[in-house]
Amino acid sequence: MQYQSQMVAKPYFIAAIGLFILQILFGLIMGLQYVMGDFLFPEIPFNVARMVHTNALIIWLLMGFMGAAYYLVPEESETELFSPRLALITFWVFLGAAGLTVLGYLLVPYSTLAEITGNSILPTMGREFLEQPTITKIGIVIVALAFLFNIGMTVLKGRKTAITLVLLIGLLGLAVLFLFSFYNPDNLVLDKYFWWWVVHLWVEGGWELILGSILAFVLIKVTGVDREVIEKWLYIIIAMALISGIIGTGHHYFWIGVPEYWQWWGSIFSALEPLPFLMMTLFAFNMVKNRRRNHPNKAAVMWALGTTVLAFFGAGVWGFMHTLAPVNYYTHGSQLTAAHGHLAFFGAYAMIVLTIISYAMPLLRGRKAANSALSQKLEIWSFLLMSSSMVLITLLLTTAGVKQIMLQRMGEHPLPFMQVQEQLAIYFWLREGSGMLFLIGLIIYVASFFVGNSEPEAEVAA
Amino acid sequence: MNEVFTKSMARNIFYGGGVFFILLFLALTFDTVQQLPKLDNRAALTEQVAHGKALWEENNCIGCHTLLGEGAYFAPELGNVYQRYGNSTAFIKAFLMTRPKEGVPGRRSMPQFNFTAEEREAIAEFLKYSSQINTAGWPPTIQG
Amino acid sequence: MATLAQQDHPKYPPGDLAIWIFILAELAVFAIFFASYAFTRMNHVELFNQFQQQLDRDAALINTLALITGSYFVVRAVAAIREGASQICLRWLLAALGMGCLFLVVKSAEYSHHFSAGINLSTNSFYMFYLSLTFFHFMHVIMGMVILAAVALKARRGGYSIEDHTGVETGAAYWHMVDLVWLILFPLVYVMH
Repeated sequence: MQYQSQMVAKPYFIAAIGLFILQILFGLIMGLQYVMGDFLFPEIPFNVARMVHTNALIIWLLMGFMGAAYYLVPEESETELFSPRLALITFWVFLGAAGLTVLGYLLVPYSTLAEITGNSILPTMGREFLEQPTITKIGIVIVALAFLFNIGMTVLKGRKTAITLVLLIGLLGLAVLFLFSFYNPDNLVLDKYFWWWVVHLWVEGGWELILGSILAFVLIKVTGVDREVIEKWLYIIIAMALISGIIGTGHHYFWIGVPEYWQWWGSIFSALEPLPFLMMTLFAFNMVKNRRRNHPNKAAVMWALGTTVLAFFGAGVWGFMHTLAPVNYYTHGSQLTAAHGHLAFFGAYAMIVLTIISYAMPLLRGRKAANSALSQKLEIWSFLLMSSSMVLITLLLTTAGVKQIMLQRMGEHPLPFMQVQEQLAIYFWLREGSGMLFLIGLIIYVASFFVGNSEPEAEVAA
Repeated sequence: MNEVFTKSMARNIFYGGGVFFILLFLALTFDTVQQLPKLDNRAALTEQVAHGKALWEENNCIGCHTLLGEGAYFAPELGNVYQRYGNSTAFIKAFLMTRPKEGVPGRRSMPQFNFTAEEREAIAEFLKYSSQINTAGWPPTIQG
Repeated sequence: MATLAQQDHPKYPPGDLAIWIFILAELAVFAIFFASYAFTRMNHVELFNQFQQQLDRDAALINTLALITGSYFVVRAVAAIREGASQICLRWLLAALGMGCLFLVVKSAEYSHHFSAGINLSTNSFYMFYLSLTFFHFMHVIMGMVILAAVALKARRGGYSIEDHTGVETGAAYWHMVDLVWLILFPLVYVMH
């Protein structure tokens, strides 16, 4: 760590991990409700558990992105952060808003929450992933503006690098696209059409730029490869992401009441969407192979490589599996979609945040370069356990999805939804078991922060 | 073989490609919005349907169900529930009314939302309107 | 010596490698698009033949000639700058831009004819593909012209020389790609039946 103001990243990272734990706990509740329908009913119905699960995910990833920005922008710009105090204020506002929102979800029925937050004045609630009360959404916008101002001013007064520019464009896109969450027409088709401008253009647009720039930063640090090389590949990869991903939005427009040409446009462009992820994987492995030095933080290198591999499989391969319209006709909105969602989000976004935390946290906690060997050993175990259990969850949901499609959407006598769900129980039980494994991985991960702190730093083997 | 691969060219491609595809996306969006009146069943979009949509949202129905395939995968697709139960709103209203407060032991159950008769009517009408959107033949079967 | 060696073995590929990655990606998109067209046409031969007749083949032929001529001008521009003749290079680039303009004018006239007849992307699958492919290509022509214009501006300032003219080659490579795509599109969509 070279600049004092980078320290503001620390609370963001800690909060991110806290919300990550919350997300997983509610995931396990939902997993159980899939097979024990009355579990915690009517206290925590499935839709409430799911809101906490998905919203906690979104908030912890945003926390992670912000922490990453606060950590890497001063170092890249070679100057102190414009205002560390503002960064801390926005942190507490953000955490407070997130906490109150989750409490609102859990303590009162959702319709009551809608009523007390005045949803009828500007109705934005009750749409998937955008369930937050309107007032929370306004809070998010204010936090985002303050954050962008702070980061933008820092970039402006310091050195401008490709990494900070790309990060800034990604963050700006994230903030601008979020504004579409305030557009909620009565017309369901229009509602859905522009809802995707937030959801798809986030994960396959703005967020990919953020992912790319964080990855590039970490790779420069841990491999010592020339910045020029890493930055030009960063540009090429995110250019590919935008080329395929923007029109690729069309793969969500097959069956929601918009013109049918989207089936062609969406299929053709999203067929190319695995490409940037493949390039990112090859890029990361090449950079590590051609490294100029061995970095003592092996765990961070592992996360960086892992995120590209699982993002390629989760977003690229599992996405491609059902992105062509004739296939999607059968798979749309099935357990297969859930399989893709889990591996893509974990691989691309959860793991990139864990990568930057893994790289930065030892430095923020006063280490010179890396944690002790013992602590890293635990972290690597948690990496293996979480990754493999997430792959397992994906495979199980894929199997469940294929079976669901065959029973419910094909053949002479398609079965009703609930009857099919009962036949999938075994996969859902195994999924819950894999979820428990994931939780163990997460516990080991958290433990790695508390173990081996008194031991000396890991050193590079000669 | 000697080649040139510069960062500034890579950057230009990122900016150029990005702007290019944003413009293309906006052009397609413009056409889509022009075409929508023919597809989105807006003639059926009454005050009551709008009220139904508001109720749908304020009770977070999407947190369990899918609608036109989007949402959660815990409970049945509702984009064609109107057709599934005999092209009628009667079943939908009756189902909403009869949900047991404490759920069903061991099974998934929809919560009892205590809607008024007028609200049940509005939700049913919203689902009827949704079912008549032109979805290019999706879902493949009546089971959604 | 280094310069001499470079003269003997011109670098390959010409232009910046980054543009070649971009060109490959673009060609991949067009290839999938063309394959989709061919596949759909196979299943609706009658429909495709019927509506293909309604296209203005003369206009398309003029456009083909415009693009080929434009490509030739670009070749001359590259040749000029390899001799170090900035001003001549600039003139050829402007001529190529003129050909691009001609293409845009003719194609726009075609579009306005279609639109006034009430034809759009949702008319039928033939027009869906015809309009999608040609409009996607149309935007590429504009993109190519923007690139050539940027190159021309730099050439006017004397920004290229015998030793360093990668930029001209880069722009030329992109323009040839736009031309090449049209040379497949024209017979596929307008002629073949």
